[in-house]
Amino acid sequence: MTPPAVTGRHTASIAAIRPYRDGMDLPVALAVTAAVLGVAAIAGVLLTRARGRARTPSSALRLDAGALPGLDSLAPGATLVQFSTEFCTSCAPTRRLLGGIVEARDDLELVDVDLTHRADLARDLHILQTPTIFVLDADGVLRTRFGGAPRREHVLAAIDAVITSERQSA
Amino acid sequence: MTTTTSTTSPKGIDPRGPRFTAGVTLVLAIAALISALLVPIGATVGARAAEPGFILLAILAIAFAAGTLGGPPRNPFGIVFRSLVRPRLKPPTELEDPRPPRFAQGIGLVLSVAGVVLHLAGVPWALAIAAGFIVIASFLNAVVDFCLGCQLYLLLARAGILGRESSAA
Repeated sequence: MTPPAVTGRHTASIAAIRPYRDGMDLPVALAVTAAVLGVAAIAGVLLTRARGRARTPSSALRLDAGALPGLDSLAPGATLVQFSTEFCTSCAPTRRLLGGIVEARDDLELVDVDLTHRADLARDLHILQTPTIFVLDADGVLRTRFGGAPRREHVLAAIDAVITSERQSA
Repeated sequence: MTTTTSTTSPKGIDPRGPRFTAGVTLVLAIAALISALLVPIGATVGARAAEPGFILLAILAIAFAAGTLGGPPRNPFGIVFRSLVRPRLKPPTELEDPRPPRFAQGIGLVLSVAGVVLHLAGVPWALAIAAGFIVIASFLNAVVDFCLGCQLYLLLARAGILGRESSAA
């Protein structure tokens, strides 16, 4: 019988090119959706942990007085350098936090560098986000850097570490 | 120096606006993902265009298009935020540069348009995959205040690929 054979071949070729996928069962679909949300949640936890964390610089860097706009002198204890841009949401609160820490002590200084039109500085110093905070020791050596708004106790710990090592080497 | 920067930069926006928009986007993208997985894909373009996952992702694509062309406040969910939510909140303490979230809206636009177009063309997983990426990005933006597209904008601007130099006085 020729006609059924032709019809059969015809539908088979349509099925081969026809884009078709069955729907999933509800539990499977919900499980896949939950898995996608789980990936997002894990990424969120990792990103939150990395944000504002203190990092020891991987390569040696020394910033002398005058190396950055506004860095006129180095404080005897530690100098905090905050890199900001215009309209950076967490820069102003961070500046207030650091300002409060620096104001209470006379061996610290705070310098704010606006990177908005200084893409060259951002590139040279490997700054990928604002605010970024550098903690420099009395010689201008970069000891700790924070990417993202840091917590107060972490800044204080970084400053203490710099001053303790300065006392030991003195 | 500061006077030139204030004239060349766009007006700051309330950072809670894009975050609210991301929350609404997240809910719609989850609904789009579930229905894209549940509903069998139709055999014709017309059938595929009538599927709920397609309609939800198309709504997101329109919202992303408005947010990309007119900036984040032009996103329909951003308009809802300004007219209904913001009057009930305290005024913002800081403003945000609208350019990074606008770039992020553009990434959402590319993803959602790719999803709906490929789905209409009959690509089996296009809708679900596009919705899945939008779920992850809007989740990070809405829940942990991490805007993936904004970070990408900043990286590209840092690298000098996106015009920052043009605004330098």
